[in-house]
Amino acid sequence: MFHFLQFAATRAALAIITLIMVSFIVFSLMELVPGDCAERYLAFKNTQGSQISVADIEAERVRLGLDKPYVVRWGKWIVNAFRGEFGDSCILRLNISQLLGEKFYISLAICLTSLLIAYLIAIPVGIISATSKSPIVNNSLRLVSYLGLAMPNFLLALMIMLFSTIVFGDSLTGLFSKEFRDAAWSYERLMDFLSRAWLPVFILGWSATAFAIQTVRALMSDEVGKLYVLAASARGVTGRRLLWRYPARHSLGPIINSLGFDLNRIFNELPIVALILTLTEAGSLLIEALARSNDQQMAGAIIFLLTASIVGINFVTDIILALTDPRVRRSILG
Amino acid sequence: MKPFKFIKIGLPVCAGIAFTLLQFGFAGEALAMDCPAATVADPKGVPAGKYPQQYDRDEFESLAKCKLSFKANPDIAKLNKRIRGNPDLPPLEQRIPEDALVVAPYDSIGKYGGTFDMLSNATEAGTSDFLAVRHVNLVRYSDDLTTIVPNIAKGWEWNDDYTQLTFFLRKGHKWSDGHPFTAEDVEYWYENLSLNPKVFEKPKNYVLVADKPMTVDVLDPQTVRFNLPAPKPGLLVHFANSYAQGFQPKHFLGKWDPEINPDADKMAKAAGFENGMEVLSNYYGNSDWTDTPTPMLRSPDKVANLPADTMPTLESHILISESTEGRHLVANPYFHQVDTAGNQLPYISEQDEIFVNEDEVRLLKLVNAEADFKAQSLQLSTAPLLLENQEKGNYTVQLRPEVTLATLGINMTHEDPEKRKAFSDIRFRQAMSVAINREEINQAAFFGMGEGKQYVGFTDSPAFVDDKWKQYYAQHDPKLANKLLDEMGLKDRDGDGFRELPNGDKLVINLQFSVQGVAAALMELVGQHWGAVGIQSTVKEVTPDEYRSAQSSNKLDVTVWRNGQPLSIVLGTNQIFVPPYHDYFTVRTNMLWAEWIDSNGASGIEPPDYAKKMMKDITAFQSTPVGTMESDKLGASLVENLVENLLFIGVVQVPAPIYHRNEVKNVVEYKTHSFEYYRSYPYRPTQWWLDE
Repeated sequence: MFHFLQFAATRAALAIITLIMVSFIVFSLMELVPGDCAERYLAFKNTQGSQISVADIEAERVRLGLDKPYVVRWGKWIVNAFRGEFGDSCILRLNISQLLGEKFYISLAICLTSLLIAYLIAIPVGIISATSKSPIVNNSLRLVSYLGLAMPNFLLALMIMLFSTIVFGDSLTGLFSKEFRDAAWSYERLMDFLSRAWLPVFILGWSATAFAIQTVRALMSDEVGKLYVLAASARGVTGRRLLWRYPARHSLGPIINSLGFDLNRIFNELPIVALILTLTEAGSLLIEALARSNDQQMAGAIIFLLTASIVGINFVTDIILALTDPRVRRSILG
Repeated sequence: MKPFKFIKIGLPVCAGIAFTLLQFGFAGEALAMDCPAATVADPKGVPAGKYPQQYDRDEFESLAKCKLSFKANPDIAKLNKRIRGNPDLPPLEQRIPEDALVVAPYDSIGKYGGTFDMLSNATEAGTSDFLAVRHVNLVRYSDDLTTIVPNIAKGWEWNDDYTQLTFFLRKGHKWSDGHPFTAEDVEYWYENLSLNPKVFEKPKNYVLVADKPMTVDVLDPQTVRFNLPAPKPGLLVHFANSYAQGFQPKHFLGKWDPEINPDADKMAKAAGFENGMEVLSNYYGNSDWTDTPTPMLRSPDKVANLPADTMPTLESHILISESTEGRHLVANPYFHQVDTAGNQLPYISEQDEIFVNEDEVRLLKLVNAEADFKAQSLQLSTAPLLLENQEKGNYTVQLRPEVTLATLGINMTHEDPEKRKAFSDIRFRQAMSVAINREEINQAAFFGMGEGKQYVGFTDSPAFVDDKWKQYYAQHDPKLANKLLDEMGLKDRDGDGFRELPNGDKLVINLQFSVQGVAAALMELVGQHWGAVGIQSTVKEVTPDEYRSAQSSNKLDVTVWRNGQPLSIVLGTNQIFVPPYHDYFTVRTNMLWAEWIDSNGASGIEPPDYAKKMMKDITAFQSTPVGTMESDKLGASLVENLVENLLFIGVVQVPAPIYHRNEVKNVVEYKTHSFEYYRSYPYRPTQWWLDE
């Protein structure tokens, strides 16, 4: 028990340190983008007929605290970020927390659902594929899985949209129908959301599943041939019981370990898919902020939240791993 | 109204049909109150009034010899309930002005109902296409784009020397919340908003005459007068084609201004705001643009404490919900227009706008008929796909000429002194202009449907524009370009195939653009043509927001957008001849000249003499009645200075598609594809209806 608590505390501390370090990198990247928030803000004021001089920009910098040293500003940003406060978007001039609001949770939900579905399919299928001797099963699974790996998500999204436009006359874009777009959450709105959210989940889920099947299959193939499995079967343990109790349990460790990494991979793919399906969630907002409008505040906030989610999931998976595997618990740094 | 006509013709006819006549006579009696459903296509014998396609109520009733009885959208009470803060509706007669504006629909009297679907790019980007559909102003350009006709104002009057402009308003005209609209609302917009430094730090050019403010007199509740410090015949034009409406609801916005209402700050604090002006800014956006975020988007946590979600309007529709995904509107129950059958407009009950910032997705949605209308952001390159699917998607595409053409402004006030020096050399701009192969761009990007041209400011080429300017340095002549660049000392020193600046620094021109401004293929080709004469460039597409922000903060080497205005617009606004040569939302160049002028020489860069001459000329031009010798001389001088110095390099002028679904009725053929007359406003979208 003591070992476990020590392990958990160390992990939690490491997670926070990681987050702080990542936030520093994020903040530094934001600084590298040409033009700061004062300039962008005043460029807007200019539209209101106000004349902008260098002195005005300087004054605005002081007002926004941009004249303070880099590290001081980062300190302030990180303290606010941990409180969920990211200030105003430079371009939209609206509060980021209010703007992001549920959008980030929607993105996270889409990614986590894709991840969940991927492993629900990949674990049994990967085990079957690793142990099955049938070439038909093996080859067809491999084909589906390679298709998922090789086909770019945006292409899949475009193909589905095109197909749907031609056959059903609906381009399948957006996350809500217009009746529910601005409505409060209700059962009907949730159903409406689900009737549209299946598409990004499906698209992201396919490649995630393909990837996960490959992982599970490789790990299982490694374990299945090992002596302890042979020994167990010699003692009369056979069939599904054998697979679940011995090689599958061993293969599970690395998989749990990589969940955070998988989430990151799915989230990386989300913005492109979201952009094509005109989903209004955090992924498309991120790409808009990074690639097009150079909205540093917005991009920083989304990246920070994403990193926090990944670090959080890694922490949870570490704890689960420690619970399932005593070897992990004993080594403090895992 | 056939029976009516029949009686007039029928009476002297022989007695053989007397019996029939009697029957028609009865019918005629019963219908004498009703008016003929005159349309533009079939006027039903109603003669034209003072202005094309529309009448005052009295005028119509006397011309058509009938009495209008009014009918409203059957769902209007339900729609009204969705406008938060609106009281229950009084009867229709009290919602329409006594002298309502009677408009003749183009083809048919419409049916009420339906939702008009629209695409924009983002909250404040690519929206004017949709704003213009519900827009109103004091007056309007008729669809011939030359006649100015009444709209909110019933009429107007100039004094002899164009220094007093009087507007007559409609008695009984009401805001969308039922509060009377009067001359004080015009005065309020001018005195308390436009000239208020707490709202606009500096008055916009369009509220000034010869850089001086006007004064506004309220003569009576329906009469308001602008007193101009100098003649400006173009002021009326401004109220016809500008997005900026010459009135705002004093009863609603005024109560948040501490100078009008001493309790303003107290009320604002009670609602959770810092002060009254903050609430005012939440509603008005401190901008005459009608797409600035409302409290619904700006202060979603506090909007419930405010009396209404958005400020009242005189437009055909009013906003009821808004998010970062889109907006939703319902018909204004107090709209001042009726059709010739007495039906209150608009016919269309609701409007819905969603934001799509991806060209391909926008195109897919249009091919799929998911929007009812679209013109802005559609460029010629989308035409083949749109045209091919017209029948299947049950929509129509009109290819109409743009009044603007793609232009490049080379930044002569660049932050980098070496670049500034090179860019300020006229030879550089001449070389860059002749390096461009306009015919290749026309063939490759515009199917040969465009025309390579130099930029001359007045895009409708009035008679005073000398022909020589239209192709000035617009020929493709890479040899000449190379010669000019060599003369300047821009030589390739490191042998990488590209020229360096005279001091040896690398010269890479950053060509940032937004497809809302110009086609991507055009920019790619310009980049290649410049590369062919040794000028290296990087071509990068960005969002309109990002482009505008970079442009106005003087971050660009070259500014790129569609540019140019017809004579009628230049008469009202001087911006294309005064640094920075246009507004924030389109193309600007030489930002630091503008700063020098604004700061009276305290900061920025002093503009050269020709720029100062243009500023003097445009002020004189606007004060001189158009068509006179003096006016033509000033116009010619403006064009000469503008073109000879290549402030902007013109590329190709092209047509562009205007899309509408066939279910949208009463859409007339557009004259141009342009922002300059405020997009659809001349073509009266208030009489569109949905046949679904």
